[in-house]
Amino acid sequence: MTRRFLASAGVVGIVVAMVWLPRVPVAAQVVPLAPVKPLIPAKTAKPWTAPRTPDGQPDLQGFWTNNTYTPLERAKNVTKEFFTEQEALKNAKRAAEAEGEQTEPGTVADVHYDFTQFGLDRSQGGMALNLRTSLIVDPPDGRIPPMTAEGQRRAAARAEARKRMGAPTDAVQNLPLSVRCIIMDRAGPPMLAGAYNNNYQIVQAPGYVMILVEMIHDVRIIPLDSRPRLPQNVRQWTGNYLGRWEGETLVVESTNFTDKTAFQGASANMHLTERFTRVAEDVIRYQFTVDDPATWAKPWSAEVPWKKTIGPLFEHACAEGNYALANTLRGARAEEKRAAEAATKVSK
Amino acid sequence: MSAKLAVGVAGVWLLLAAGPAWAHHAFSAEFDINKPLKIQGTLTKWEMINPHSWFHVDVKGPDGNVVPWLIEGGSPNQLIRLGVTKYTLRIGTEFVIEGYLAKDGENRAVGRNFVLADGRRLFLGGSSPGADPGK
Repeated sequence: MTRRFLASAGVVGIVVAMVWLPRVPVAAQVVPLAPVKPLIPAKTAKPWTAPRTPDGQPDLQGFWTNNTYTPLERAKNVTKEFFTEQEALKNAKRAAEAEGEQTEPGTVADVHYDFTQFGLDRSQGGMALNLRTSLIVDPPDGRIPPMTAEGQRRAAARAEARKRMGAPTDAVQNLPLSVRCIIMDRAGPPMLAGAYNNNYQIVQAPGYVMILVEMIHDVRIIPLDSRPRLPQNVRQWTGNYLGRWEGETLVVESTNFTDKTAFQGASANMHLTERFTRVAEDVIRYQFTVDDPATWAKPWSAEVPWKKTIGPLFEHACAEGNYALANTLRGARAEEKRAAEAATKVSK
Repeated sequence: MSAKLAVGVAGVWLLLAAGPAWAHHAFSAEFDINKPLKIQGTLTKWEMINPHSWFHVDVKGPDGNVVPWLIEGGSPNQLIRLGVTKYTLRIGTEFVIEGYLAKDGENRAVGRNFVLADGRRLFLGGSSPGADPGK
């Protein structure tokens, strides 16, 4: 994509073009069905001013997706900040093909359902094509800064504590938070795309902005005032958040996180600043800055385009239908029993 | 992802190899990598639930006895977004399931692929494979 296009898009820092990535036939012996129609039609970006809600806020309302193939950190063999449009399209096509590729039978990677059959590969979900080579925009190398000695010590202590707890399948509490349907790893805040269902709804009311995450239907009702923050000893999964408008941008500042989430190894005292700016009718520029001197010497920032998608959000009653959790524990117990029986036979 | 492809893909996309690992749970913790299976059965019920949908399938054994199986599939949310509903898949639909058996040895498996009688894969392409034209 050219510099001229960058300027004409009126989008500083990000370039967004809608791309629809056609599905790739998974196996030769299977007759592919008709391709899925784009859920979001391609559009040319042009200068655009956000409409206002009845109470005068810039209007961010609607359904959005942050689906992306762009990695959080820039690959070490990539030295530039932006791909050309041609490169980005080629990479996205290759990534879509890789997601639809059959895995090698008998490998760990093969033990799952076919994501493409359930529309869970990202290319079927629709996305904004991001020319950036990494979501991280600062530092300029596009990578998370090295951890401080204190951060490394904390990470080692966390690893040691996990080890003491035993195997992941020894107890429910040892399984990851996402497996237990408590919070999805990448739903945040900060909000990054996970494997699928990367959909969000924003609703605004006088004095509040509500952000609903489809996965586990996590919701943040963000007050737009200067009420006092929660006391230091009150910690929340999604932090304690307060919002304000800076011109066209919704700024949300969050504190009071818990060390149970530890975003990228951050401490519970991480100070997170998120910025939401509607830069086109169908695009929100989502930026976030992580400031955590206990983990990184300097703050670091990332930027993700959110693309308008279709609603509504569908229920994701994760805990209620989580048969997999019990099955996993039951499987581990069965394996232990088999191993014990085998050991008894050997000793005889 | 095949080894050949993984080598061919530029480093920037290597993260994608971890795709399924981003999913709700580690499949190989629930299902046995050493017990691949292929069964043919008839759909008796489809639980469109999260984090994984479950297909109840009757499978006729070599002795003629019908045995109920439970097959794990994907989150239904994107399917619903693509226009698939609980009415899309007819009860009684026959398909072949390739997958892996549950580690506890029960009649439960992850459905790696669901292949319909005419060779099409279930839901691939957002179509309505078992759709009743009358609905």
